Amino acid sequence: MPNKRVKAPFDWSTLNLQAVLLTVGFVILISISAFTVFVIDRAAKDDEDLARTLSIQDKLTAVLLVARRAESGQRGYLLTQQDVYLQDYNAATPRMVPVVNELRELVRDPALIKVADRMQAIITEKLHELQRTIELQKSGNLGDALALLRTNEGRNIMEELRLLVTDTINSQARIRVERTATSQRNNMLLLILTLAGSALIILIGGTSIVLVQRNYRQAEIARQELAGTNNNLERIVEFRTADLTEANNEIQRFAYIVSHDLRSPLVNIMGFTSELEALRNDIFDEVARLTAEVATLNGQAAAAAAAAPTDARVVQLGTDFDEAIRFIKTSIGNMDRLINAVLKLSREGRRQFHPEKIDMKALLGQVAENVSHRVMELGATLDVLDLPLVESDPLALEQIFTNLVDNAIKYRRTDEPLHITVRGRTTSVHAIYDVEDNGRGIDGGDHQRVFELFRRSGKQDRPGEGIGLAHVRALVRRLGGTMELKSELGQGSTFTVILPLRWSVNSRSAA
Amino acid sequence: MNSKIAELPVEIVMIEDDEGHARLIEKNIRRAGVNNPIRPFTSGTEAVNYLFGADGSGLVNKGKPLLILLDLNLPDMTGVEILGRVKTNEHLKRIPVVVLTTTDDAVEIQRCYDLGCNVYITKPVNYDNFAHAIRQLGLFFSVIQVPAPE
Repeated sequence: MPNKRVKAPFDWSTLNLQAVLLTVGFVILISISAFTVFVIDRAAKDDEDLARTLSIQDKLTAVLLVARRAESGQRGYLLTQQDVYLQDYNAATPRMVPVVNELRELVRDPALIKVADRMQAIITEKLHELQRTIELQKSGNLGDALALLRTNEGRNIMEELRLLVTDTINSQARIRVERTATSQRNNMLLLILTLAGSALIILIGGTSIVLVQRNYRQAEIARQELAGTNNNLERIVEFRTADLTEANNEIQRFAYIVSHDLRSPLVNIMGFTSELEALRNDIFDEVARLTAEVATLNGQAAAAAAAAPTDARVVQLGTDFDEAIRFIKTSIGNMDRLINAVLKLSREGRRQFHPEKIDMKALLGQVAENVSHRVMELGATLDVLDLPLVESDPLALEQIFTNLVDNAIKYRRTDEPLHITVRGRTTSVHAIYDVEDNGRGIDGGDHQRVFELFRRSGKQDRPGEGIGLAHVRALVRRLGGTMELKSELGQGSTFTVILPLRWSVNSRSAA
Repeated sequence: MNSKIAELPVEIVMIEDDEGHARLIEKNIRRAGVNNPIRPFTSGTEAVNYLFGADGSGLVNKGKPLLILLDLNLPDMTGVEILGRVKTNEHLKRIPVVVLTTTDDAVEIQRCYDLGCNVYITKPVNYDNFAHAIRQLGLFFSVIQVPAPE
């Protein structure tokens, strides 16, 4: 049939394209995810940086504040000599160094570290200046303290500190603005990339769906084609089976008609041969009478001399005649047997079967009983082992196994007592029966031949037409089964009958 | 038969396409001592023409004592057809019909009896049996009664 198979190469390319698309989609997804993770991580770092910048600013402010508090305490005390200001001063100064130290710990940036270091130095210097003036004041040298103040040393230090703090805060603010801008750019980039990636993924998804649908449609078409082919095949098988059945029936009819029509002329040949045989006596009687008459006419003396050779010739004629008639009759007998065999086979081929569940052990028991007399006479044994049940035609099976057992007995070996075993087994669908003997066996080249009509194998010392096994095989086939033969010359034979466990209507169509 | 209806001997109509068979049948019937006239036909058409007459009504043979010896395998028509026509004809239906044929098919035998055949005999292939059967048939002929003419 010119039915196309599923086009494998085309299918593969479609699959590949799909795989590529899927891979690209996955790569895009992974990139977007990775970038997102990166940006988020970056944002977190930015946030952290921002927080630190803010605390650094706080600390810077705190440093300035605490320094100013200490300074204002100092100035108040110097002005008023009241302990309240001294208390303010005393509260602020111990915080000055720790605050700067705290700042120093916060910073990471080398520039800021430098700033912090510088601040530490300024603070230490300032603290030193403060302590000095306060010491002088406490010890009553107010003038010295004021003179020290008048040098503007403290103010310069504070100015420097203030400038440093303001500059640092300003530069920090600039950095923050830059970072925020970068972060915003990154976020925007992420958004764009995500949108683009999503669009691409949607595109790929759409293409994939289209491809899958196309694939599915093609698969569907292929499936339908296949279903069509199968249907076609079934129909073809049906047609062929019908053809075969028809041909088979034709052969059956042919065999029947031929054998039937051959019998008619045979009856004539046989009939008129018998008539001829009857005539023969009349003719020879007539010849004898005429001879006698001639003899009386020619006189007794001459007759005595002439009669002897004539008689001898007549006897010879009679013998030849009898021989001819005998050959004709033997041949007719043979032909009659052959025609009967064909007729019997064709009749078997048309027989209706009546399937039922058969206890094969009982059936073989019956077969064994029918031959028990002969078996006993020969000193042989016939063992029927456990046999599986089967659904089939009991009459046909009895014929089959009777034939096989008969054959085993018929073609036994003379040098050894005959031993026949019938055993059975099953597969999931078949019942299998072996008829095994230790007889003369069949040559390997003749294994097919023995099943053919009018064919025999081995020494032709037993009567038979060569139809037994042909008949058996025809029956087994009509029962839906098959036959096998395992045999070696001089080693015995095993005939195996394989039957379907369940009867099916179809089994009858085979002949 | 001739002894019973001496004035009008029963005529045996033998429809048999094989002349050899016809001859052997006749010989063996004679051997049984039956001397009735035998009218052989080798084809169905001829036999039908004779039985039913030119008009096909069968009137020509009305009341004539006949006995039909019928073979089923004929070249031009089947014996079954002839049997059917004889047995459904008003004038011929009482004629005894003996089917003498090689067919021993059970369905065929049943059909012939259904159609009204009086005796069905299968020709034995073995000649001795054949001769014997025909001779016995001859004996049978010598004793059976055919319907008396009206």
